[in-house]
Amino acid sequence: MTNLTRRTLMQAAAATGLAGAFGSRLAFAADEPLGITLVVPSPIGDVGWGHALSAGLEPVKAAYGDKVKVTVLENIMEGPDADRIMTKTVADGNKLLIAGSFGYQNGALQIARRDPGVTVLHASGFQVAPNFSPFAAKYFQGTYLLGMAAAALSKTGKLGSVSAFAIPELITSINAFALGAQAVNPDIEVSVVWVNSWFDPAKEQEAAKALIAQKCDVIFSNAQDTPSVVAACEEAGVYSFNLNSSMKKYAEKTYLGCVATDWSPFFLASVEAHLAGTFKGANAFLGVADKVVQVTDWNPAIPADMMAKIKDVETKIADGSFSPFTGPIARADGSDGVAAGATMTDAEIVAMDWHVKGVATPLPK
Amino acid sequence: MSMTSLLPTLVRRERASLKATLLAPPLALAAAILLNLGLYVLMGRDPAAVVHALLLEPFLSWSSFSEVLLKTGPLLFIAQGLAIGFRAKVFNIGAEGQFILGAIFASAIPIWFPQAAGGWIWPSMLLLGAIGGALWAGITAFWRVRLNANEILVSLMLSLVAAQLLYYLLLGPWKDPNGFNFPQSVMFQYDAMVPTLFAGTRVNVSLLIALALSLAAWIFMQKSFMGYKLQVGGLAPRAAGYAGFSEGRAIWLSLLIGGFAAGLAGAAEVAGPLGQLQRSISTGYGYSAIIVAYLGGLHPIGIVVSSLVMAAISIGGDNAMVSANLPIAAVRVFQGSLLLAYLVAVAFVRYRLEWPQITARSPS
Repeated sequence: MTNLTRRTLMQAAAATGLAGAFGSRLAFAADEPLGITLVVPSPIGDVGWGHALSAGLEPVKAAYGDKVKVTVLENIMEGPDADRIMTKTVADGNKLLIAGSFGYQNGALQIARRDPGVTVLHASGFQVAPNFSPFAAKYFQGTYLLGMAAAALSKTGKLGSVSAFAIPELITSINAFALGAQAVNPDIEVSVVWVNSWFDPAKEQEAAKALIAQKCDVIFSNAQDTPSVVAACEEAGVYSFNLNSSMKKYAEKTYLGCVATDWSPFFLASVEAHLAGTFKGANAFLGVADKVVQVTDWNPAIPADMMAKIKDVETKIADGSFSPFTGPIARADGSDGVAAGATMTDAEIVAMDWHVKGVATPLPK
Repeated sequence: MSMTSLLPTLVRRERASLKATLLAPPLALAAAILLNLGLYVLMGRDPAAVVHALLLEPFLSWSSFSEVLLKTGPLLFIAQGLAIGFRAKVFNIGAEGQFILGAIFASAIPIWFPQAAGGWIWPSMLLLGAIGGALWAGITAFWRVRLNANEILVSLMLSLVAAQLLYYLLLGPWKDPNGFNFPQSVMFQYDAMVPTLFAGTRVNVSLLIALALSLAAWIFMQKSFMGYKLQVGGLAPRAAGYAGFSEGRAIWLSLLIGGFAAGLAGAAEVAGPLGQLQRSISTGYGYSAIIVAYLGGLHPIGIVVSSLVMAAISIGGDNAMVSANLPIAAVRVFQGSLLLAYLVAVAFVRYRLEWPQITARSPS
């Protein structure tokens, strides 16, 4: 496996349905189950990032049964403790480590270097090694669609986003949200509040209320592990949506939709490659086409004609005939971002450190 | 005879019991273990596996034990510094903030001079960190002495300010320019790292410095006149006042020593296992060290033992999470109940139970 492409992921998903098909490949690991450890910095809870990662391992358990042993370690603070815990879990014989936060990067990379027999999947990072794959979701494909819906429903022409950290993954989510909205209403604006935390219910709620006070009437909860923003929006009667896993039950009326992530195709493919001894570290940047990013829980308030347009764009994103980051795109500072007709490559997208025109809040520098 | 008179009463001892002083920590440990074993059984975990992971594994392999030693370092630094203040009844609760300032000050060298090389770098970082911690604690001392502002509140709240200062630096001027906006600094150069003590482990020379400081703390508290004045000030403030010992000086000295030690710990952490400045540099060392200081009876030698015990429990807690599938909350309950058990046990150092005399009633 040279790269995690859509095809290999699909093959893996199909293969796991027929556990017998790769029985021979498992021969060398006959009795020992493969130990898989997921480490996340926040609580697993019912919603959010950690929950989505943990849920992505369920199909792995279902497909491999007692051939895998899954351990989930939540609330592990980034730093020396995380390094030790990851080292310990590998020393305990777990051979597949899923390091679920960018802050685990250096420690996890050292583990991968020390022991070539270990496979490490690392969330949101940028380092690659033969047995070390960074993985990230193309959230922007989903947030573009929600941007279209938001523009159709917004009365004030002002959208907001409560966002965790100003890293490329989250910047692109906001940019695509703005671009999707501008495709419907070119004058629409997006304001952003950076809370600089993955998990801080009080701060997130405060930020949401501040955006609502500024007349933003659709709020994007960008990478929060708590339903605070979504719940605050329900209370104020403005639309909201979030990433990773559905928070509909916290906002029955005003929940616009969820840019859900299903990591199971990626995890299944990685487990299969690890067991077959063919794992090869590569940047896994996965989206709608890989079935990793899916928009769910669409709000019925979205007008039917808009919904049809959204579905049309979704199909084009899935088959690769459309990318949200297709020029002409101007930067927030007025300079040229993407030339007319050009499309940003994945490599350019994962390093995106500028906002598109229409994002009113300057990036923290 | 009413029910209440059947209950024992606490009676103050004529003098602290030596037996109780020595017995209190191990009894507290035993009580906490027993209580929590019950909890693990209720949670459906195998208590033998939990005990093995929690209490034995940290000592069973050199790699585990070296991690215990690594974790002992910062606890030992901070607790020794705090204990001196606590004995003078100056309650510096903000060691966490002083730790962060120590880390920030120390990081200034590798962040501003990433190309610098030479054996002077890491010692200067430790020194700068210690100064940073002392300066931060100095703010608390200043307000306490000048305005009689409560040092518990001021130092605690300054910890929150320190964390915000750290976040500001990492999101702004000190962010790694090639780090894709991730809130962390550049990785430090080789010479900005404290040399390791044992090859293959993360234990570094700062542990020896912590032990040397423990000895210095012992000499200071037991042998020096200044240490004596601090203790008298804590035990009998009015007597100390009559003897001409200045309260202001005691407050300044207590807080500066506490801040110096906590800052040193913070510096040793970024120049040790971290190797860069990042958001989560402390796993609550500043707060755990308060427990460590009291568990060690505020005595420099006791603190060496208690910091080792606390570090072992912490490593054991991580092990229990990884190997025995214990949730992190249960690990924290264990640490909390240990302090609670100790506080109860320590009451018996100064007090004893007196049972009411029950006169046998003769059958009528």
